[in-house]
Amino acid sequence: MKARILVVDDDEALAEMIGIVLRNDGFEPVFCADGAQALDIFRSSRPDLVLLDLMLPGVDGIEVCRQIRSESDVPIVMLTAKADTSDVVRGLESGADDYVPKPFKPAELVARVRARLRPGDQKAPETLRIADITIDVAGHTVSRGSERISLTPLEFDLLVALARKPWQVFTRELLLEQVWGYRHAADTRLVNVHVQRLRSKIEQDPEAPEVVLTVRGVGYKAGA
Amino acid sequence: MVSATKQGPDPTPQDSTPEDGERGLDGAPPVTGAPAVPAGHDGPPGHAPEHTDALTPGFRQVTFRTRIWRRRALIVGWRVARLVGTGVRRFLPALRFIARALQRRWRRSLQFRTVLTTLMLAVTSFAVVGAYLSNQIANNLFQERLTQAESETRYNVKQVQETFDGAQVTDQSSVITLVYDTLNAVEGRGSVIQRRYVFEAKPEQTKPRNRWVESRASDQLTVSVIPPDLRKAVQSSGKDQYWASTVIPVGTEDRPGIAVGNLVTFNGTVYELYLIYDLNTAQQTLDEIQGVLWAGGAVMVLLIGAVAWYVTRNVVSPVSHAAMVSEKLAAGQLQERMVVRGEDEVARLGASFNHMAASLQEQITQLATLSQMQQRFVSDVSHELRTPLTTVRMAAEVLYDARDDFDPINKRSAELLYNQVERFQSLLSDLLEISRFDAGVAELDAEAEDIRHVVAHVIEGAAPVAAEYGSELILSAPAEPVIVDMDARRIDRILRNLILNAVEHGEGKPVAITVAASQTAVGISVRDHGMGMEPAEAARVFDRFWRADPARARTTGGSGLGLSIAMEDTKLHNGWLQAWGRKGSGANFRLTVPLRQGEGIDASPVPLEPDDTMVQGQPGSIPREADQRNMLILEAGASHLAPAITSKETP
Repeated sequence: MKARILVVDDDEALAEMIGIVLRNDGFEPVFCADGAQALDIFRSSRPDLVLLDLMLPGVDGIEVCRQIRSESDVPIVMLTAKADTSDVVRGLESGADDYVPKPFKPAELVARVRARLRPGDQKAPETLRIADITIDVAGHTVSRGSERISLTPLEFDLLVALARKPWQVFTRELLLEQVWGYRHAADTRLVNVHVQRLRSKIEQDPEAPEVVLTVRGVGYKAGA
Repeated sequence: MVSATKQGPDPTPQDSTPEDGERGLDGAPPVTGAPAVPAGHDGPPGHAPEHTDALTPGFRQVTFRTRIWRRRALIVGWRVARLVGTGVRRFLPALRFIARALQRRWRRSLQFRTVLTTLMLAVTSFAVVGAYLSNQIANNLFQERLTQAESETRYNVKQVQETFDGAQVTDQSSVITLVYDTLNAVEGRGSVIQRRYVFEAKPEQTKPRNRWVESRASDQLTVSVIPPDLRKAVQSSGKDQYWASTVIPVGTEDRPGIAVGNLVTFNGTVYELYLIYDLNTAQQTLDEIQGVLWAGGAVMVLLIGAVAWYVTRNVVSPVSHAAMVSEKLAAGQLQERMVVRGEDEVARLGASFNHMAASLQEQITQLATLSQMQQRFVSDVSHELRTPLTTVRMAAEVLYDARDDFDPINKRSAELLYNQVERFQSLLSDLLEISRFDAGVAELDAEAEDIRHVVAHVIEGAAPVAAEYGSELILSAPAEPVIVDMDARRIDRILRNLILNAVEHGEGKPVAITVAASQTAVGISVRDHGMGMEPAEAARVFDRFWRADPARARTTGGSGLGLSIAMEDTKLHNGWLQAWGRKGSGANFRLTVPLRQGEGIDASPVPLEPDDTMVQGQPGSIPREADQRNMLILEAGASHLAPAITSKETP
């Protein structure tokens, strides 16, 4: 089955070009050129992944991202023309899993899309624990006691990566490689922002984390 | 101390008491007393010459108090010295602090300085005027009392002598009674003693049979209260009258007094008779007057200080107000203005100050608007250019991937299109990056990380390029982590730039990357052994679009902005980026960054000018011994961190 990808971009030429590339690689693109209609088209087309331009007429990309994220855990990859820290971080904080800075290469885009669409659901039944958190890997659920915690697939993958090797300290680069699928990553802000988001969901007190610990100067590790 | 004797004939000519007989004896100056003083005093004729010592009359009032004062002063002085001694030791730090605070105040506050100077001048003038006035008053009081004492003495001595001369007593008891009664009469009638006396037989004379009285004195007095000099003068003078200041015991206290002495004869025996006058009332009056003087002076000084304070405040406060306002302006509160009141000089200062502030504000606002416009422009250009460029780039790549299906002409066109789009893209992104620095929107996203990871990462990324050029990348880094507050993305970009640059200009010779840290900073040097550059060129490498060799630069690509961007990235970290070069000896670039942001750098842990100027590792050249050793060290340092790097270099 072809994965369906919603391309939200107001630039018709670019959208068409992205469509060509995606079709070429065996995806099924759906287009939307207006932020205001993005949520409706998202609901009707039920895509497997969203490619979202941050600068849109009408409702801007960050708002669209927030709307989609509020009702779905679907992977969202931002297309951004601005490499400014604040914009990227704002995009990531509003719920995007990853971003591709313009101008990008077709291969780069496809790699990002594939990384987020990994057929990762053939996991063996496995239960992991960090601190007071229980992770059912096959069932894709995370809970504290009887309370279920809802995570996006990316946050889930991040947590599982840390929980599988609780003795290891993960550098940001290593996490980028294992969770995001980057080979030569440079932007560690992705990791920072997502660790913050993950903490806000699973920690009792995000200011004093117990599940995902920071190892100063190195990276992160799972709590005891 | 009492040392002054002075003959005291009554200076008042209108003195009516007959005393010519007495005076008749005073033909010549006294033998002792004050031999230095010549006769021929300009007093009325017939008066005995006055003897004075070196002391001027003005100081006499001081002298008659000095004995008591000296004792009191000694005790008080000793206590004060002890107190000050312990106090100074205990409070020395506090005293130093206060002294420093005052010094600072003196330096920094015009008002403080003016008020203090005024106060000091006022105190000095009042002290001088007060001392003069008090001296004059004391002198007059004393002179008045002295004159009175002298005339009274003269009268009383005469009375005594007359009583003695007219006495017809021969038996012991009546002689004693007569003498005692006569002397008691001298003390004056009534309950208040007007004067006291000391009556003493003159020594060194033959003792007649009928001499039953040797000495007699008022209550509490003995002959010891009479200064020896005065006695000597009186003894040797005949019938002259002398006086001296002295101290007499009255009740429990010592009081200043004047002793006036003369000789009387009784039954053939010469006696010294001293009448002593209590100066206590004069002293009390003087003390009161002095008290009033000093109190008045102190009040005046305080008033003058207050006036000085008020006046200087009026002048200084607008100035310090102006200073405060200009500090606020400098701190960015551009709407701050001075309050202008009236039309005087201060108001003019305020008005022109405000005028200056207004024009400054206008210009700064204009600049800020311009800068904002530039930022928005950069942002817009960025977005507007990047979007179509993305489309073009993707299209070019699709065509490039399919180039094998084209005929040769289209194929070559697709290749050119692809390559040049790449180049255009890198140029554009560099340009946009540098405009972001210019617009001041670049921000440091600092985080504490091990810089060795970043270095290793960059070397890994640069290895394929280095292999293409045949250069070896040699890393020397400390074994322990070097945690630096840094924006890893920017440090990565700086290092990548330096290393690729070194590889590009290294002529296939090894490139040495050295990492070293001190307590405060980390230094990374990138050393190549290529053709090198002149020092003048090294100074210009960070200029935009500057190329060492314009003729051949285009072939190696690059936007010409790489090192400028690296420099901006370094500045953002408050670091140093420096270049060293010598023709034929290669070049060395050094990046120094503080370990913690907000701290300065004193020195870089790695040298800028390398101690090697070798050619090393070049096939066919023989490395010198030192170089081999150097290389071993380098590899030893590098081995633990990036053992895979050297192996990756060979394609």
